Amino acid sequence: MEISRRRLNWGLAATLAAPSIWGAGRAAGETIKIGMVLSVTGPAADNGKYALAGARIALERVNKAGGVLGRQIELVTEDDQTTNPGAVLAFSKLAAQPDIVAFLGPIRSTQTHAIAPDVLKTGKPVCFGGTDPKLTKLGNSWLIRFRPNDTYSGRVIASFGVETLGKKNWAIVHSTDAFGMGGFNALSASLAKIGAKVASDQGFPNQNQDFTPVVLAIKSSGADIVGSYFTFDNDVALFARQLRQLGVTLPWVGSPSAVDVGAVKLAGPALYGVYGVADYAVDSSPQAKDFAGGYTAMTKLQPDIYSSWTYDAIGVLCDAMKRAGSTEPDKLRAAILATRGYKGAEGEYNFDEFGDGLHGYNIVRNEKGSIVFDKHIEFTD
Amino acid sequence: MDFFLQLLFTGVGIGAVYALVALGFVLIFRATNVVNFAQGEFSMVAAYLMVVFAVDLGLPYWVAFLISIAGMALLGAAFNLLVYYPLRNRGFLPVLISTIGASIFLGNTTLALYGPQPQVLAGWLDTPGFQLGPIYLDSQYLVIVTVTLALVLFQYWLFEHTLLGKKLQATSQDKEMAALLGVPVALMIMFTFVYSAVLGGIAGILVAPVLFVSIQMGSAIALKAFAATIIGGFGDVAGAIIGGFAIGIVETLGAAYISVPFKDAFAFVVLIAFLALRPQGIFGERVAEKA
Amino acid sequence: MMRGSLPGLSIYALVAVVAVALAATVKTDAYVANILMQAATYAIAVFGISIVLGLCGQINLAQAAFFAVGAYAVALGTVDYSLPFWLCLLVGVGLAFASGALLGLSTLRLGGHYLAMVTISFQQILTVVLINAIRFTHGPDGVSSIGRPAGFQSSQAFLALAIAAMAISGYFVWRLGRSRLGRAMRAVRDNELAASAAGVDVFRTKLTAFALSAALGGLGGGLFAGGFSYISPDQFAFADSIVLMTMALLGGVASPVGSALGTGLLILIPEWLRFLKSVPGLYLAIYGAAVVLIVIFMPDGVWGFVGRLFARAPRAPSSAAEPLMLAPADSGGEIALEVRDLAKHFGGLKAVDGVDFRVRRGQVHALIGPNGSGKTTMLNVVTGLYRATRGAVSVDGVDLTALPPHKRTTAGLARTFQNIRLFRSMSALENVVIGAERDGNRLTVGDASAVLARARSALAFVGLEERMHQPIPSFSYGHQRLIEIARALAANPTVLLLDEPAAGLNLTEKKALHDLLDRIAAQGLTILIIDHDMTLIAGVAHHLTVLNFGKRIADGATAEVLRQPAVVAAYLGAA
Repeated sequence: MEISRRRLNWGLAATLAAPSIWGAGRAAGETIKIGMVLSVTGPAADNGKYALAGARIALERVNKAGGVLGRQIELVTEDDQTTNPGAVLAFSKLAAQPDIVAFLGPIRSTQTHAIAPDVLKTGKPVCFGGTDPKLTKLGNSWLIRFRPNDTYSGRVIASFGVETLGKKNWAIVHSTDAFGMGGFNALSASLAKIGAKVASDQGFPNQNQDFTPVVLAIKSSGADIVGSYFTFDNDVALFARQLRQLGVTLPWVGSPSAVDVGAVKLAGPALYGVYGVADYAVDSSPQAKDFAGGYTAMTKLQPDIYSSWTYDAIGVLCDAMKRAGSTEPDKLRAAILATRGYKGAEGEYNFDEFGDGLHGYNIVRNEKGSIVFDKHIEFTD
Repeated sequence: MDFFLQLLFTGVGIGAVYALVALGFVLIFRATNVVNFAQGEFSMVAAYLMVVFAVDLGLPYWVAFLISIAGMALLGAAFNLLVYYPLRNRGFLPVLISTIGASIFLGNTTLALYGPQPQVLAGWLDTPGFQLGPIYLDSQYLVIVTVTLALVLFQYWLFEHTLLGKKLQATSQDKEMAALLGVPVALMIMFTFVYSAVLGGIAGILVAPVLFVSIQMGSAIALKAFAATIIGGFGDVAGAIIGGFAIGIVETLGAAYISVPFKDAFAFVVLIAFLALRPQGIFGERVAEKA
Repeated sequence: MMRGSLPGLSIYALVAVVAVALAATVKTDAYVANILMQAATYAIAVFGISIVLGLCGQINLAQAAFFAVGAYAVALGTVDYSLPFWLCLLVGVGLAFASGALLGLSTLRLGGHYLAMVTISFQQILTVVLINAIRFTHGPDGVSSIGRPAGFQSSQAFLALAIAAMAISGYFVWRLGRSRLGRAMRAVRDNELAASAAGVDVFRTKLTAFALSAALGGLGGGLFAGGFSYISPDQFAFADSIVLMTMALLGGVASPVGSALGTGLLILIPEWLRFLKSVPGLYLAIYGAAVVLIVIFMPDGVWGFVGRLFARAPRAPSSAAEPLMLAPADSGGEIALEVRDLAKHFGGLKAVDGVDFRVRRGQVHALIGPNGSGKTTMLNVVTGLYRATRGAVSVDGVDLTALPPHKRTTAGLARTFQNIRLFRSMSALENVVIGAERDGNRLTVGDASAVLARARSALAFVGLEERMHQPIPSFSYGHQRLIEIARALAANPTVLLLDEPAAGLNLTEKKALHDLLDRIAAQGLTILIIDHDMTLIAGVAHHLTVLNFGKRIADGATAEVLRQPAVVAAYLGAA
């Protein structure tokens, strides 16, 4: 049974590997090209694989339905090596191809920051997944976000923990990278707004080898709930296990990584009962369920946040091209920002003037190893 | 106090991991005067071998363990022949760069073959741990500490009480003299690499249940193990062990009482302090060049 | 060596100007521009490594940290403090220079792996600080919207600036390798003891190498920050230091051309291998394997490999050298070298135990004694390689006892070694030049052509001028001895100290050595010689001091001393 997973990895690699350019339209340059920066190597390589699979599903659906503006859509990918200079080179390599009309950018905020100057120079829409709230406020109107930013994750975690679970004394555990720090700031600000307090702020370096000091500090802080922003699956799993081993049974509401497929698999029972915010949850909507069907059929895996946003981004892009009737950068951008009520796998896209499409999160729970949908919390302000 | 004891236990456990990897550094250094920057990758490769044999193929733990260790022995031999041996007369820098190249190669080959997802590997014992008064003892850490101490004793016996050990010592002290005395120097160096790869492999297999199996698992440990080796006085086995434990404890206590985010700096601050105050290490001796 | 570089230099300048002009005018797409920007800024940092590692032989695994210092100075300076770009760049280079010097301080006591670990530690600590000192560094978010100087606002103009900076840094490093400081660095790399005995301040040289290397790292980093207008701590991690180091070694650490080549290759190879991207890790695996293969098969890097294919045969000198003039400093006193109650104890072993002797000006004075009598230890204490346990040494009436070896050389000592210590990677001429340009040599003060002329004369004096451009390993053992003596003579010392110059020579060579010593003595240079060859000693020495078990057992005119029963007994007893 475990062998099947192995075969699957190879299988997935092989299917993804075959040609580096995706899409059915091989008919002599008649395709519309979308560039995609993703991690093929480096620590986030698995996420890159998921992201590509998500985009491919959307692409196949669009192409099967006849494409856009009478043309097939094609995806051109470059590896960012999970590093910032790698992302810059990958993006600029794609940007140098004049026939690419729009891009899918990185899911990591630092990499999005790194390519931002080049994005501005290129002057074409870049759909990205980094959740640092600042990214859409840089004055760079070409950056368009397809995941709810961290102010929303912070607000949702805070509102769920305080209002639904009734806990007001928080311990926040977060990595000290851009994602973790941004999350911590968003969560603590939201908590302050609704009258809860941070009893313990526990930052840790990524790829940490031991959480004993963190857990002991939480234990002695008198906190009654744990909030978390982790970047890597193995950190989530290690923290979860040590937390339980040292006898902490507090409720835990975390950022998406706490309910991420990889972390859930690594941690086993230690993560049972943990709540997490998820931009994607299978049972949150018919569209989400539909995506899950397609994703599992293709990869034999459960979909997660890495694949759902790329799926939606391709969908919204194609929808916008149809409405704009053009692939010209300015018209395309205007059409994307004019998107209202687009029902994607992650939720309903209503773009604001900054380029943020989503304004809410799902709350999901780890029910003995499987992720179940709890509720959706949406903000309109 | 309870917290302190809990931290101390964890520090000793982590320290044992550093010590075990440091042991591999010391052996290779003694035999060849070079630092093997791929030592951490030995641990990573062994952990992946275990995942393949014990988890994916479902072989019994001990069978998988023996196969993995045999695999590590082969890797050590190949490493010696391909990465070290051609450069043996070229001084320490080329070898150092060559081992860095090898470490990039091993990490990414594993990535290419197995994919990037971290994997779970079970430990030797079924119980994850138990409560002893106020302290929770993770059984895997107990295993690690025990095995580390056992390997140190084994190594002491090997070097001090066997002919093979004497030959190894002669090789590490003076290769030309050893060769004149009929010690097969090349073979001894080969053995050292094989043994170091096995040691690194054991460390990887032991630490995998705690830290999970990932491509990056070896490199962070190896750098701190290297620091432990220096603190111990390069080339000194007992020093490296004590250095490993010292770094594990300092790091854990430092994280708890000073700062968790700055935790990864503590080992290096201690190291610099050591080099400034006692450059010969805990047990090492400074050797002056003669005119 | 120094001539013949002019055409090369003009070609270099031409290529550099054309490159800058192309960068400034030809429109490239962003991808190419980014690659060039990365290559140019990295190359500057890699030039730094070719100073510290290539020239000076010291390991530095923290170049990415110095790169970060420059980058953060520019980033934080232009963004948070609204300072002008040029000022920030200057501060960044200055800070990198200072931190490099600080790190270089550790070379006083540490080398090899210890030094490697100190630099790794610096790198790791800086990374942790960059990530966690959020208030100051913006933490892991990094710094964006980094400023550029007026006139270089466009990416293209800034790229031209970076390439110009690279060309100038490259020229600087190339010049450095041929300057006195660069020779001193290479001397330190080849043989520290011989370098200090030849008058090189070893510690200061290493410190300078570290500081200059770090400053170039800072310069590269500052330009990098301006070029990409966004930086974050993960760009300057330990792995990046390794990459920079590998770039230097791959291209050929000994030359700036090699360094630039290596930088270009290591940036381009992963880009070329992108077609392998479909299997995660495959191309980095190939890259790792390539590093191993290159280290094994191209020991001097790609450039060294190419250079050997096109190596030209060294030309013989076209004109004859001036005859060597030995004009030792002379304060007028009768005693050139005085040793008073000198003792050197190693733990319980009294290698030298309270010895007095005086070397008269213009005399050949021999120090003899059976094996283990303390002769070489005495010489090492006199030249400062060992600290005296007790007693004093003075030259020309100046007390040297507290001085380090290179200061004693400045004061007028020059020596050779029992086991020859030459700078093996250099030519015979370069070896002797290092001797000639010692501080305090009043014949060559501050005059490069006088140094060169004197070095040639010294080589001509020992009969090796014809082969002056050949590398040391191509000389026979006997000739290497002569080169070592020429190096000492070129320094124009007050006292020449020879440690067993006849050891290992055959009869003909001994005869030639005897003649050479006679010719030196004829010019009135004071010599202190140690040797076991009593025929040679009896032939050249005016005066003998005999040691046994660390004590003086006889002292006086040669013929007289050789008749003393104690001396005969010591020799026979020992034999």
